[in-house]
Formats: sequence, structure tokens, C-alpha cells
Amino acid sequence: MKLRWGLLDAVVVVFALLPVLWIVSLSFKTTATLTDGNLIPREWTLENYRTIFQTDQFVRALVNSIGIALISTTIAVVLGTMAAYAVARLDFPGKGALVGVSLLIAMFPQVSLVSPLFDIERQLGIFDTWLGLILPYITFSLPLAIYTLSAFFKQIPWDLEKAAKMDGATQAQAFRKVIAPLAAPGVFTSAILVFIFCWNDFLFAISLTSTERSRTVPAALSFFTGASQFEDPTGAISAAAVVITIPIILFVLFFQRRIVAGLTSGAVKG
Amino acid sequence: MTVRVSEGKRAERRLGWLLCAPAAIVMVAVTAYPILYSVWLSLQRFDLKFPDEREFVGLSNYITVLSNEYWWTAFGVTMLITVVSVAIELVLGMGLAVVMHRTLVGRGLVRTSALIPYGIVTVVAAFSWRYAWTPGTGYLANLFSDGAPLTERASSLAIIILAEIWKTTPFMALLLLAGLALVPDDLLKAASMDGATAWQRFVKVTLPVMKPAILVALLFRTLDAFRVFDNIYVLTAGANETSSVSMLAYNNLLRGLNLGIGSTMSVLIFISVAIMAFIFVKLFGTAAPGREEGRR
Amino acid sequence: MVTHAGTWVRATAAAVALLLLGPMTACGSDEGGVPTINFYYAQEQNLQKVVDDCNAEAAGKYRISYQVLPRSADDQRVQMVRRLAAEDSGMDILGLDITWTQEFASADWILEWTGANKSEAEQGTLAGPLESAEYDGKLYAAPKNTNVQLLWYRTDLVQQPPTTWDQMIQQALELKQQGKPYQIITMGAQYEGLVVLYNTLVASAGGHILNDDGTKAVFDEGAVRGLEILQKFASAGVTHPSFTNTIEDDARLQFQNGDGAFELNWPFVYPAMQEGAPDLAAKVKWARYPGVDSGTPSKVTIGGYNLAVSKYSKHPDLSFEAALCLRNAEHQKFSAINDGVPPTIESVYADPEMTKAYPMKDEILAELRDAANRPLTPAYQNVSTVMSATLSPPASINPEKTAKELRGSIQDALESKGVLP
Repeated sequence: MKLRWGLLDAVVVVFALLPVLWIVSLSFKTTATLTDGNLIPREWTLENYRTIFQTDQFVRALVNSIGIALISTTIAVVLGTMAAYAVARLDFPGKGALVGVSLLIAMFPQVSLVSPLFDIERQLGIFDTWLGLILPYITFSLPLAIYTLSAFFKQIPWDLEKAAKMDGATQAQAFRKVIAPLAAPGVFTSAILVFIFCWNDFLFAISLTSTERSRTVPAALSFFTGASQFEDPTGAISAAAVVITIPIILFVLFFQRRIVAGLTSGAVKG
Repeated sequence: MTVRVSEGKRAERRLGWLLCAPAAIVMVAVTAYPILYSVWLSLQRFDLKFPDEREFVGLSNYITVLSNEYWWTAFGVTMLITVVSVAIELVLGMGLAVVMHRTLVGRGLVRTSALIPYGIVTVVAAFSWRYAWTPGTGYLANLFSDGAPLTERASSLAIIILAEIWKTTPFMALLLLAGLALVPDDLLKAASMDGATAWQRFVKVTLPVMKPAILVALLFRTLDAFRVFDNIYVLTAGANETSSVSMLAYNNLLRGLNLGIGSTMSVLIFISVAIMAFIFVKLFGTAAPGREEGRR
Repeated sequence: MVTHAGTWVRATAAAVALLLLGPMTACGSDEGGVPTINFYYAQEQNLQKVVDDCNAEAAGKYRISYQVLPRSADDQRVQMVRRLAAEDSGMDILGLDITWTQEFASADWILEWTGANKSEAEQGTLAGPLESAEYDGKLYAAPKNTNVQLLWYRTDLVQQPPTTWDQMIQQALELKQQGKPYQIITMGAQYEGLVVLYNTLVASAGGHILNDDGTKAVFDEGAVRGLEILQKFASAGVTHPSFTNTIEDDARLQFQNGDGAFELNWPFVYPAMQEGAPDLAAKVKWARYPGVDSGTPSKVTIGGYNLAVSKYSKHPDLSFEAALCLRNAEHQKFSAINDGVPPTIESVYADPEMTKAYPMKDEILAELRDAANRPLTPAYQNVSTVMSATLSPPASINPEKTAKELRGSIQDALESKGVLP
């Protein structure tokens, strides 16, 4: 049994990581061997990594990316959790409208929203600031957060809360000991998804920033240049892609352990 | 519909509004004007190159787009990519979720590596696929074919779909994993003791609990898949009729600077996606957020 | 663990609050009374030195600030268009790909060059690049640099470089029979590069895509001839298997990998080859791009960048002056030597320093003297998008039928009617 799962694990890891290995390998190749078609570099070099860290541009973009993604994720998850709890648990007029409108926002092609957003942000003076990116990131990740979380909250056996209270627990204790552990997987799942969305966005990042003050990494990548107008800096871009995947790995490593089966002993699902 | 409501009901309403207000205000404040503006543009002839020719034309942009051959070709391609990739992703994602959920050996490693593809910047991943599938520069082309797979329609589409699947199966898997975490272990144990096979347990116990999670995963993946852009833009640039509706919208809006036609396409993409969303929500009935469960 | 993460996130949030709400430092602010000229241009490695030089020359009259635009041409254009549409006064000098000049002029986003500025911009400038900066008989930009493709060939395989396409295809077929590297490598993906290739063929055949004032799609006999050659080339079995998905850098790599006997590409391939495949580079020489009819030399499509002054600039006069400095003969020579971009001022080619950096300068200049522009129309992006979609894949062109189709669809594109593919 254990062996079978181990084998499946191996399959998953290979499926996910073989193409990543290719990008990693590109990042270690020299210009001359960059496109020789070998999966494993014949000549190794750190040149590409040196290139991206040569100026503080990339580092600055990394700082922007981390800051903007963390703030957006925190706010979006908090607002999303509040709204999702209401959607899943409470009965109030306008609930359908909220659910509908948030889906509508998720469905509208963002490419045609960028120019009007640019106009607004320039008027408000938040163009090319962190806030100018955080606002759209929160907005466009809220629908997913609300949907994920409310789908999740709906399946939580809330009766447990009552049961705990009957057993003498206070409201706060009931929430902390019973509900929070059950809700955690949903909350952390949406946190991971929102974080990745903010981290990887290119469209808003390139359109709503103009200097390195607020430019995030995906946008900064499009400012890398090769030796001439026509040469793509593939090596440097691959190296940057590898570097910016590390925070995601850390983020996921940190939060995934919360996504486990909740405490359900004694749960009687209605 | 002014019915007298009890104090408790009123408090519940107030709490509901209070909890939703911040999210609703942010979303509406940021998107109301841009969305309405796009819809308004779609009713005009408005080309930035010829600013003097701007005029209100009613639905004529819609007629132009809907009677255009490029639009329907791209629409077909987009549908194909959406249906095939989402279907495969659902199956693979479910498998992946089960593995991520059940595995005990190196769980952190498995979960994290499974999620890496979703975390990599799409354009970079697309470039790496492009290299990989180009003869001479890539390991896959040299391995699997003697021609250039990105120069033919069927193989190009297959590679685009493969790139999409590789990239977004983790998204699906993560959402489903969260759903799996909700399945009560003792329920499964009880079913097992009643002599249910693994498959029966999955269908009878696991799936019903996961229904809302599946709906959300399908819904958001479909929205996204229908707007596929980066992979096509990098892999084929739309050659051999592999263009998607988003590429068309991009070309008309940003290259052609034809705000009228471009916005019309955006609205049409929105409507197509809305129809698909509607079908999903109908299919899943009460599992949809905001719907009341009549019976349980 | 959770609380820990919470605290951390809160701390970070607090720490960045300052940054977040910090005052907006407008990039166009004028420091100490010296007007700042914001110069938007694609990344060019040593351009900052030219800017510094001009600032020193200006001696406090103005200060140019170089605002780098993204690598991809589409991204550059979109960024500038978005700001111009919003009447942003923060942009002064714009670096335009030569095919955008008419569009920006027609939309009334850039200022006409007149008087002394105009004469200085025209002084000694090659006719092709200059034509690309004109619209409606007026000058709207000053050409900064140009570019032109050459024929690169392997001297170990080819004794005499071909002068026509027919010859080149013939030579490639012979090499193929002998089992030697034979391919003719160039750009054939569905994008601008394919339009450049076709435009060169049409111009060399003496044909026209549009009429002279750029308002009608004509696709005359020469244009049909261009279609025939493109189709013949693509289906003769002499291209790289990836031809229909090849852009500039792919072509360079294919040739460097040793697959080709010929390559049609911009001059950047030469320094790149010396670095990436020095053994091969020693065997490679260059010649004028092949023509269509023997005895008639080719007319090759030019690329390059023009400098224009934004209509919304707060300092138009100084901007013209600064633009002229950025593209004067001395700075064009500097950019040619250090960044490899060919000058638009003819006399610069005669400079002895050019010979070392530019061994192929004579061929470049020869091609530039009777160069071809791509169709000059405000709707060029439309025209190009439709053309590249119709011409791709080139092997399935049916000359007469395709020409007929293009006459209709390009006419629509010119009038911005209908849908772009």
C-alpha cells in the first residue's frame, strides 16, 4: 500500500517537475549552449543569475512583488472570509446579488478593463504606487476567495459549534477549538491561490506601473534585454523565473500543512 | 415584500450586510466604471487612430463581429481548448488531490512540487515549452517527432492544451484537496465497515461532500480557460488557425486600437463565459454558493 | 504557527504602509528650475551615455530623463498610446518604431517638425528612413536609427552568393542533393517578420501593396509576383522545418546550429554568431539581399526607430532640440558602434571608426540607398495583422486568389472596418 502511494507520488513529482527542470536547466546554460536541446546543460554557468542581480532593479521588483502580494492576499482573504461566512451561513437580501456580481467581475475580460482603470488611477494619483496594484489585485481575487470559502463554509458541520457550547464551551472556545480548525483548509487554500494570482499577474503590473517604485517581477521581466533588439534574454528570464518561484515554494510549504482533514471525530452530519 | 421580520432575523440581516460590505464596496468601486465603460464603448464606432469618426452605432459592432469568420474560428478553437483541457484537468486534478491528500511520505514535498507549475510565470513557462517543442533547440521535439510540431494545426493545439493542463491542473487539485479535507473520516470508515468498496465510498460519500468544491474549481477554471491567451501568443502567435477569442480581442483592442470592436469582443467573451457559468450552476443546483439547501 | 504568521503579516503590512501611501514622486518633476524632458524609448544598453552627453551639452537648459520602455514592440506602443489617449503631459520625446509614425500623426498625438528643426532633421538623412517619418507631406519625426536585412551565407558551401531568389533556391536544392547543409533560413512565423519578408519581395519585384497615398489596397502585378515567390520558396523543400514558427532569434539559432547554407536576417546575427558559434562565424560572409529579377537589385524593407515630440509635452521647443541632439551624427555613430544600430545619417558610414565595428557597412549602405518602406498608413497595424494572418502559412498561398482576398481585406483594414484576425 505504502509502495503504491510512493509510486504515485513519484509520478506526480515527475509530471509536475520535468518541465520545471527544463527551465532550471535553461537558466544554468551558457549563451552558446542555450538552445542545444539538451535537458541537462553541457556547460554550467551562474552568469544568468549574476546578470539579474547585477543591478538593484530585480531586487527592487522582488521587494515590490513580495509586499504587494502579501498585503493583497491578507486583505483579500480577510474580506473574502467575512463575505463568505455571510453567504454560507446567513440569510439576508442582496446575497444573490453579491454572489452574482462577484462572478461577473471574475468573468469580464481584464484586457478591456485596464485602460479605464489606468485613467482612474491617474486621476486619483495612485498610478504607479503599491496601492494602485493592491486594489485591483484584491478586487480580482475576491470572487475566487468568496466562492472557495463559501463553498467550504457550507460543508462545515456547524452543529458542532452548538454541541461544543452545550458541553460548556464559550462562544470563543467553540470557534477556536471546533470551527477554526475546520475552516483552516479553505482559508489557506484561498490564501495560496490569491497569492499566486497576485504574484504572477502581468497585465495589471505592466499597465499600472511605470517605474521601479512599484513594478513587480513579471513586469520587470519584460524590461530585460538581450544583446540586441531581436535577441531574447532567455537565460536571464529563466533564471529570474527560477528565483521568483522560490517565494511561492516557501509560501506553499508554509501553508499547505494547514490543508488537512479537519477534526471530525464525533461529527454527525445532518 | 415588506413582511414583518423578527428581531433575530433583522440582526442576521444586519450582520450579513456588515460582513459583505467591505468586499462588495471594493469590488464595485474598482470595476463598476471600467465594465460599464467597456459596454458603452461596444456600442460605438471608436478607433483611436481616427478620433474624428467616433459615433454611436448601436449594435452594429455586434453584428460585425458575429458575422465574421475569424471570430467563429477562434470561438471554436477556444471552446475546444476549454472543454478538453478542463475535462482532463478535472480528472487529473482529482487524482492529484487524492494523492496529495492521502500520501504520508513527504507530503510537503509532494504538495509543493505539485503546485509549482501553477506558480511559474505563464509566459516563461510558455517560452520554455516553445523551445522544448522546436526541433534543434528542444528536448521534446527531438524525442517525439521528426517534424516541427508547432507548425501544424493539430499538434499545435495539442501542445497548447498540454501546456494549459500542466499549468493549471494544480489549481484544480488544490481546490479539490480543500474539498477532500472536509470529508469526515469516520463517515468513510463507517461506509467501509458496511462493506462499501473504495469506488463506492468515493462516489457515495466523498463526491457529495465535495460537490461545492468541484463546482468552484470547474467554474473558475472554465472562466480562465476560455480566456486563454499567453500560451497561444507565445507558442504559435495564432498561426494555422490556433487563435483564441482573447487573442482576437487583444489584436483589435491593443494592436488595432479599435476600442469599439475590441470592447464588443470583450462583452461577447463575457456573455459566453456567463452562459457556461449558468449551466454549471444549474447542473450543480444547491451546491452553488448563495443557494439555500432545501433538503439535505 | 498561525498566530506567528499573522503577526508577521501584520508587521510587514505596517512596515510597508509608508511606502504604500508615500507621496507620488512624479517622474516629470522639474528640479531646480531646469525643465525635465521625459524621453520614452525602448531599452538600449548604452543610450544613457548619449542622454548624459546631451544633458552636458545643454548646460542647464534642459535635462533629459530616459524612461525605459519594455522589450516587446507591442508593449512599447500600448504604453505610449494609453498615456497619449489620456493626454498625459509627462511624456515629451517618444521613440517610435518607424511603422507607428503615421498612426501617431493621424491621431494627432505628435507635433509636426517645422523650420530649422525640420531642416536639421532632414540634413543628410537617408531617403528611406526619412520617408518613414513623414505623413501627409509633412515631417512628424526625426529618424534615429534604421536597420536592414542582409544575406548571410556559408563560404564553405557557397562559392558565389546568389543575386536572385530563384538562384538561391536552386543552389539550396543542389546542396540538398549533395547531402550538405542546404537550408535557407529566415523568419516565417505569423507576425511582423513575415510581412517584412513579403514587403521586400513585392518591392524588389517593383510592385505595390497600397497606392501612393496609402488609401487604396492595390496588390498589383508585382505584389502577385511576390506571392508566387513566397509560395515557391516555402514549398520548395529548402526551408527549416520550423520556418512557419520562426522569428528573428529562432532563425539566428537555426543557422548557428549549422542547419543552414543561407540566412536572411538583420545584422545582429553577426556579432551574436561570433560569440555563440565562433567556428561557424569564420566561415560566414554577407551579401546584398537577393532580388527577384536578375539584373534588378533587391529593394529591402527597412526597420528602425524615429523620435517624435508629444503633442501634450509641456516643453515642445526644448524637446525638439533635445531630440535633435539624441540623434545627431556623433551620437548615431556612438550608438552604431556600441549598440549595433545602423545610422540614418549617410555621412556617418564614411567614418573610419565604423569600419571596424561594422565590416558589413558597405552592403548595408547600398541596400539603404534604395530601401523599401512598409506601407505608410495610419492603419499599418491593421494592415500588418491582416497580412501576416493571410500569408501564414506561406506554402498554402494561391497567388491570384490570395491577392484578390487581400485586396478586399486590406481595404477594410485601411478603413478600420470589420474584424482583425
